[in-house]
Amino acid sequence: MTETDFLCLTPFLILALAPIVIMLVISIFRNYEIVFGFSLLSLILAFAALFFIAPAIPHSIQPLFIIDMYSLFFLGIIFISAFIVALLSYNYIKRLEGVREEYYIILFTSTLGAALLAVANHFVLFFLGIETLSISLYILIAFQRTKDNSIEAGIKYLILASVSTAFLLFGMGLIYTAFGSMMFSEIATAISLQGPLTSLAITGFGMMLVGIGFKLALVPFHAWTPDVYQGAPAPVSAYIATVSKGAVMAVLIRFFFNIKGFDDHYLFIIISAIAILSMFIGNILAIRQQNIKRLLAYSSIANMGYLIIILLTGTNKGIQASLFYLISYFITTISAFGVITLLSNAKNEAEMISDYKGLFWKRPFVAIVFTLALLSLAGIPITAGFIGKFYVIFEGMKAGLMLLVFAMIISSVIGLYYYLRVITTMFSPAGETTLPQITFMGKFTLAAITISILILGIYPGWLIDIITRFVGL
Amino acid sequence: MSSESLILFFIVGAVFVGAVLIFSSLVPPKSKNPQKSEAYECGIPTTGITWLQFNIGYYLFAILFLVFDVETVFVFPWAVVMKELGMIAFVEIIIFFVILGLGLLYAWKKHALIWE
Repeated sequence: MTETDFLCLTPFLILALAPIVIMLVISIFRNYEIVFGFSLLSLILAFAALFFIAPAIPHSIQPLFIIDMYSLFFLGIIFISAFIVALLSYNYIKRLEGVREEYYIILFTSTLGAALLAVANHFVLFFLGIETLSISLYILIAFQRTKDNSIEAGIKYLILASVSTAFLLFGMGLIYTAFGSMMFSEIATAISLQGPLTSLAITGFGMMLVGIGFKLALVPFHAWTPDVYQGAPAPVSAYIATVSKGAVMAVLIRFFFNIKGFDDHYLFIIISAIAILSMFIGNILAIRQQNIKRLLAYSSIANMGYLIIILLTGTNKGIQASLFYLISYFITTISAFGVITLLSNAKNEAEMISDYKGLFWKRPFVAIVFTLALLSLAGIPITAGFIGKFYVIFEGMKAGLMLLVFAMIISSVIGLYYYLRVITTMFSPAGETTLPQITFMGKFTLAAITISILILGIYPGWLIDIITRFVGL
Repeated sequence: MSSESLILFFIVGAVFVGAVLIFSSLVPPKSKNPQKSEAYECGIPTTGITWLQFNIGYYLFAILFLVFDVETVFVFPWAVVMKELGMIAFVEIIIFFVILGLGLLYAWKKHALIWE
């Protein structure tokens, strides 16, 4: 270990140290506010550490880690999202009975797993990261262990994630058999030497795709999503939808572009089929949902379908589009789940669409935030979602992926229907439901996220410039 | 490797496993009696049901045992090569002990060590 190695690993060390310190604090003096404050501080420190790393990159710690601008970018958005999720969780977790402080321990371990995925350059680290992430998620999902829904969701995720991990491992094994290496770059070299992929290699990539597709909730590996989103606490659903999927996407993009998977005929067809199926099935199944969390779950399936189009463009510009799309999807999803989190009270979650009847007349601020989030998910202009979609479609067209782009446009139109249904419910005459008070901190966070959705929608240039700096032309 | 060999691999695998299963069901001598299908074939008839509730404390202790179990697994290999690795290994194992110890401290503070 050299000094540079240590410097580059600082954010990970901070993330690994934080849960240990929190555990010590809990053992000695259990206090929710201290743990909460310390968690926020550690996430800020981890984020600040990225700036100190910046001069030292690109740096790779052989053979596992690669820390370049790309991973730095993903680390940044993972830390920021984890920070916002922690911020939104404050009240939600505080009023739970029994264990509460432990939530932040698990939040840190899962963020550590996600962060490891962003720097993975080797199957071992890839697997380690994905397992650290999912084992923490089992606990987070079933965190309200007195609720039946929560336990059901936890068990479902546990069993299905284990099975999908088995597929992932077997796929990695087959690829190792085919190419004799587990490093992304060495696999890429082996592929370029051997020519077209053999059936053994294709089987390996296919099996890995099962494992990754499960984590990203792509059709046909999506069945867990609505149940888990519904049963998990609302901030945890936000976490799964953003940090977990974003980190897996980070490693998928790196791996896929390293091995130039878009050049292979079979992989191209498989991924196109998965993308189209995800868009349509996600959007069509969302139409009849009465539960907001399930609706957002199906919407996230469709969104991931849009996103993997980018894999097939095979250009650096494509990666930039996907990063922009990911950021707009992150802030929009966190904003939507943030509203659900803040409107839930101790007894029940505000998860049915009927709970939102007449929200605008009682809580205009929250209703406007939620409306903007839904419009952004639907891809209406002047929101971040529109620019994200436009960017993806633009890059898709340039790469000649006409079929995929048309599928995306048509399924977006289907999607518009159910987003608007929720919005009309919010603006219809008020119902009888009682709503909890919203804290200042919650309001402030939501306002900040909503403003950033608008800014990205109206003036996206600066973010595109930043992304270009990170990923290059 | 081409796809033919992969298919052949699956076929040979299926045939081999199937053949062994069929063979092992044909060859051995058979004797059937009700005792044979019981969980413990020791001659004494079982009494009561197996789905009875037992004290959750056992479970808790088994989980706590894991702390020491993991410790043992890592400390034995460490002890074997400790002299060659020197100071760094010593510091590393101390860090490992501290983290494991924290787990125990946490359990202790949660009153997991009290038998109720």
